[in-house]
Amino acid sequence: MSDAALPAAQVVRPSRLRRLEPVTFLWIVLIAALLVLVAAPILKMVVISFEEQDTGVFTIQNYVTAYGRARYLEALRNSLMLGTLSAAISVVIAVPMAWAVSRTDMPGKGFTWATVLAAFIMPPYLGAIGWILLAGPNSGWINVAWRDLTGATAPLVNVYTFTGMAFVIALHSFPLVFIFVKSALDLISSEMEDAANILGGGTWVTMRRVTLPLVWPSIMGGFILIFLETIALFGTPAIIGIPARINVVTTQLWQFFEDPVRVEVAAAFAIPLLLVTIALIAVQKLLLARKGFVSQTGKGGERRQIKLGPWRWVLFAWCFAVAMLSVGKPLTVLLQASFAKAWGRGFSFDNLTLRNYQFLLFEHDMAPQAVWNTVWFSGASATIAVVLALLVAYIVVRRLMRFADALGFLAMAPFVIPGIVMAIGFYAAYAGPPLSLYGSALLIILAFASRFLPIAYASSQAAIRAVHPEMEEAARILGSGRLHAIRKVTAPLLKTSLLGGWLVVFIVASRELSAAIFLVGPRTRTMSVLLYDLTEQGNFEVVSAFGGILLVITLAIVGIGMKLVGRDFMLRRE
Amino acid sequence: MFLIDRRQMLALAAWSAAATRAWADSPMNPQERELYEAAKREGEITWYTGQYSADASEAAGRAFNERYPGVRCNVVRSTSQVAFQRLSQDFRAGVGQCDVFSSTNGGHYVQLKRQNRLVKFRPVNADGLLPILRRPDPDDYFQSSFLGIYLMGHNTNMVSEAEAPRSWTDILDPKWKDKLAVGHPGYSGAIGLWALQMRTMYGPDYLRRFERNKPQVGRSSIDPVTMMTAGERAVGVAVPSASTLFAASRGNPLKLIYPTEGVIAAMSPSGIPTNAPHPNAAKLFQEFQTGPALSTAVRLLFNESIRPDVPPPEGSRPLDQVTMLAPSLEEAEKGVPEVREQWREIFGV
Amino acid sequence: MPRLTLSGLTKAYGRLTVVDSVDLTLEEGEFVSLLGPSGCGKTTTLRMIAGFVDPTGGSIAVDGTVLSAPGAVVPPERRGMSMIFQSYAIWPNMTVEENVAFGLKLRKLTREETRRRVGEILEVVQLSHLAHRYPAELSGGQQQRVALARAIVVKPAVLLLDEPLSNLDANLREEMRFEIRRLHDEFRITTVYVTHDQAEAMATSDRIAVMNAGRIEQVDAPHLLYTRPRTRFVAGFVGRTNLLEAQVTSGMLRVDGIALGPSTQPDGPVLVSLRPQAMTIHEAQPPLAGPVIEASIAERTYLGESWDYVVQPHGSALRLRAAAAPLEAHEVGRRVWLAIDPRQVAVVQ
Repeated sequence: MSDAALPAAQVVRPSRLRRLEPVTFLWIVLIAALLVLVAAPILKMVVISFEEQDTGVFTIQNYVTAYGRARYLEALRNSLMLGTLSAAISVVIAVPMAWAVSRTDMPGKGFTWATVLAAFIMPPYLGAIGWILLAGPNSGWINVAWRDLTGATAPLVNVYTFTGMAFVIALHSFPLVFIFVKSALDLISSEMEDAANILGGGTWVTMRRVTLPLVWPSIMGGFILIFLETIALFGTPAIIGIPARINVVTTQLWQFFEDPVRVEVAAAFAIPLLLVTIALIAVQKLLLARKGFVSQTGKGGERRQIKLGPWRWVLFAWCFAVAMLSVGKPLTVLLQASFAKAWGRGFSFDNLTLRNYQFLLFEHDMAPQAVWNTVWFSGASATIAVVLALLVAYIVVRRLMRFADALGFLAMAPFVIPGIVMAIGFYAAYAGPPLSLYGSALLIILAFASRFLPIAYASSQAAIRAVHPEMEEAARILGSGRLHAIRKVTAPLLKTSLLGGWLVVFIVASRELSAAIFLVGPRTRTMSVLLYDLTEQGNFEVVSAFGGILLVITLAIVGIGMKLVGRDFMLRRE
Repeated sequence: MFLIDRRQMLALAAWSAAATRAWADSPMNPQERELYEAAKREGEITWYTGQYSADASEAAGRAFNERYPGVRCNVVRSTSQVAFQRLSQDFRAGVGQCDVFSSTNGGHYVQLKRQNRLVKFRPVNADGLLPILRRPDPDDYFQSSFLGIYLMGHNTNMVSEAEAPRSWTDILDPKWKDKLAVGHPGYSGAIGLWALQMRTMYGPDYLRRFERNKPQVGRSSIDPVTMMTAGERAVGVAVPSASTLFAASRGNPLKLIYPTEGVIAAMSPSGIPTNAPHPNAAKLFQEFQTGPALSTAVRLLFNESIRPDVPPPEGSRPLDQVTMLAPSLEEAEKGVPEVREQWREIFGV
Repeated sequence: MPRLTLSGLTKAYGRLTVVDSVDLTLEEGEFVSLLGPSGCGKTTTLRMIAGFVDPTGGSIAVDGTVLSAPGAVVPPERRGMSMIFQSYAIWPNMTVEENVAFGLKLRKLTREETRRRVGEILEVVQLSHLAHRYPAELSGGQQQRVALARAIVVKPAVLLLDEPLSNLDANLREEMRFEIRRLHDEFRITTVYVTHDQAEAMATSDRIAVMNAGRIEQVDAPHLLYTRPRTRFVAGFVGRTNLLEAQVTSGMLRVDGIALGPSTQPDGPVLVSLRPQAMTIHEAQPPLAGPVIEASIAERTYLGESWDYVVQPHGSALRLRAAAAPLEAHEVGRRVWLAIDPRQVAVVQ
């Protein structure tokens, strides 16, 4: 075909359709996906909280019911207090660790990292069971040892208390604060501290007056996140809170799902969690207004370790104690119980058995199915989340569309919405007709994908920022379309970070209980839900063995992740 | 708990060689055979159950699978309230998932029947049940499948037999403060029945006084057995005899207490929801439950046999020697939610 | 007694010696720059003075008191010094006022005294109107002033500056050079200033210590450093120069046979530094007493403020760089006369 054959007009004036790049359609699809995954469930929840059951007539009766009783209000108060206390304990645990690892010459940093990682991947309800075995007031190992040592009759520690529960939650939440604070500390140039030193501030004064205030937003962010996680936590309050006689929002929500199922009331009862979230974020914005917190100028450059002298051993002792409390001890008792005929009999050779594992893997009707469900739900939701997050992040970072930021906002929103609220929203929006997804795998996969979308989004965003647009432009100028360029150039460059994001979503999805418990059907129970059901039977040996299986699966995934992506993939700041 | 050691296994095997096999392999009645053929086309049956313990439920599921090759039983074991909650959610969502529903709370059936949510079906095997269990519903919307005996137990290392409480009112004595453990009526149907029975017998103050002794509240009625085994609490209140006997059989220092007033008997039926996705398999399962195969399977785990032709489990007192206290189904339907609410006000959870 | 004395100061990391027995003395109120290329050890020296780095040899004394010696180091916070960092290290979470007041608060001054001194110093650096701003709301130059104010307000015994202007753009850098000198003239604080920019060092310092490979090559007043460099390195590093191999024969310095003037050096080969500014180009032979060489223009580059010529003396292979004012344009290939100012001919080692 010769050039002359082309009509001149076509060459000169690009057609209107030229403006509808494929990326426009993609954008529409993304908007739709985010609406389905994020906006619709939440809106639906707000809407039905004002609807009468069955008729759909506007009413505020649900709110009257939800707040009509002192017990319900107390559950709300308990949740807020529990969230605050757990978050505060987490901060106390994690900030010295983060400071020590990031800025000092404390020994055993690798060990501390491992602790944080282990505490992070250990599902909180497993920790709760471990702590029941450890700190039950009469039979817990710690108390038995304490009585044997001192002859005292009163228990030393009691897990069945408000502080006990908050402490157990904090022991599995603190990694979030650690990750936040450490990555912020890593950004602070040593000169910030040097400047305080030379003006007369010693190590402690400098830490107190300069270093920690600089990472205050991260501490606050971690605090808020743990607060939100805690008020949405179901497993630990059900396992520890009921014997401790503490009713919280989540266990109360569970009661609203008792017969007759009152989703409308549950929705009304969940609304304050949403309001609290909004309030917290507003407060955070207010407190941080104007101030800048990362070093503003300069090469920032050099970071040196602060020499602590003998104090470094004190810090190490702290980290070691945290390791013992959060991982070492609960894991020991869980492992012991999982290999025991009767866990109450303690360690002895005639008490050892593989029967618990054998029972679960070969005789239990649901356990192998639950293992499979967990793997494939987590895998599918991680894939959906990562693909969606990648595309949204791409559009947002490259500013391809107007209102791109709105997409980003939607993708990040589930981050601050308590998981249980998301679950109720999903239940309200999709469980019943017309979609009737209740009990189906799809519903759970979508809910997980939505719940963990922000994790995938944050890692995709960071990854895309790191790829210079010119890399793509080079491909495009050579004649490749944008999507083609993404596939051939950008995506391969992002492979590692995407895989990292995928693995993190997989791991958190595999241990998710709070959202799953409201959405599973008989054939779609995940390991976490089955584990919870097993705890109702009080059979700790089998529960522990199942927990062991869950941990082995998680560890395998973490191992693969470290092999493929690098040692710190879990703990990078998302 | 299905963790039986070798010695016990041998002892049980001796008995089962003689009797179990015979019953498990007993010929199918014509209706059963017909249902089996239809069920094979459906392939599976999903069983929501809160009646037998997890291990016994799994054992029952396996016994079913063995008896009816080609039809697979999905055991969804939880507490009865949770099972009912799941069923309610299914109906609410318009999704049929459950084929047979088994709860320890008889009230559930009265309610389901009134809402026209149960299928009318009478298994032929029901005629062979214990006389008191033969016809729980004159209209045949549900059939007996479980007889649970709930009483007290104690850890013999912590409380001697002489000191142990003898009646349901003994445990109100302040000397039992911090020594008791109990399940939760919001989770366990049997505990609901027990609480209702106590209220009926001793008035609304009973629970309040019971609460003053600060019993440890679990969820399932089996939780207190664990607590006793661990030495966390000395006396378990309203514990199932089966789980307690089983734990004792493994060498744990547990002993049953038959309260002087009588034991709580949860005579619980099973029903087929109208939205059951596998209706023929569901009916087959009802034949299985009322037939000797179920009783034979669960008996090995110390559950009561519900048929006179299958002997009671080892170590339990024969049923004709104990007083059985049981609220009627109608009382249960009305009373259990009330007492549950009252419980929550008193206990705070 | 000198204010600051470095004697034999050495820092080695394993086998790598980064600072190699440096000796330097600062009188009170003196402003001395450490000038050198990156990696010459100047920043390490400064950080040793500050106490952030421990020396492996030698000592640092202030007013005769030894602050640093191997194994005995007073920590930075007890040295009474202050420092301005490359990144300014302004704390972004504090306002300008809070930043400046930080050191005063640590010195436990009364609130009024603190406020008065902060007010005064902000006046001096012309930031009074920005006292309540956060650093993120300031320009680079303003942040620099905050850093200066914060360092000066505590009246340090020694003020240390670590490449403070390297993050500013060219115009601002020039302005701040004068600002730093102005503040020094006002407060007469003994100052050590580290930079790799000779213009900065020239503009601010009383004396400049040129460092290379961990050693001080020469310490002198800026103009002497320029006109009388003592080493080849100093001659090359400070300003541009023509380094020529010369011969001293019977008291006369000659390059390629061209006499440059008398010399006190013993006879033999020497190295000579001849600044481009030490030569003037004439189109006609000038009637001057000093050495005048006939040459031709080989290359020329116009640099805006000056011409940069490469000139080739007749009958020689030498190529000399010479500077000329913008109006003195000479065509390439043109025959010219090159007049050399003998006072600016420096023999270097």
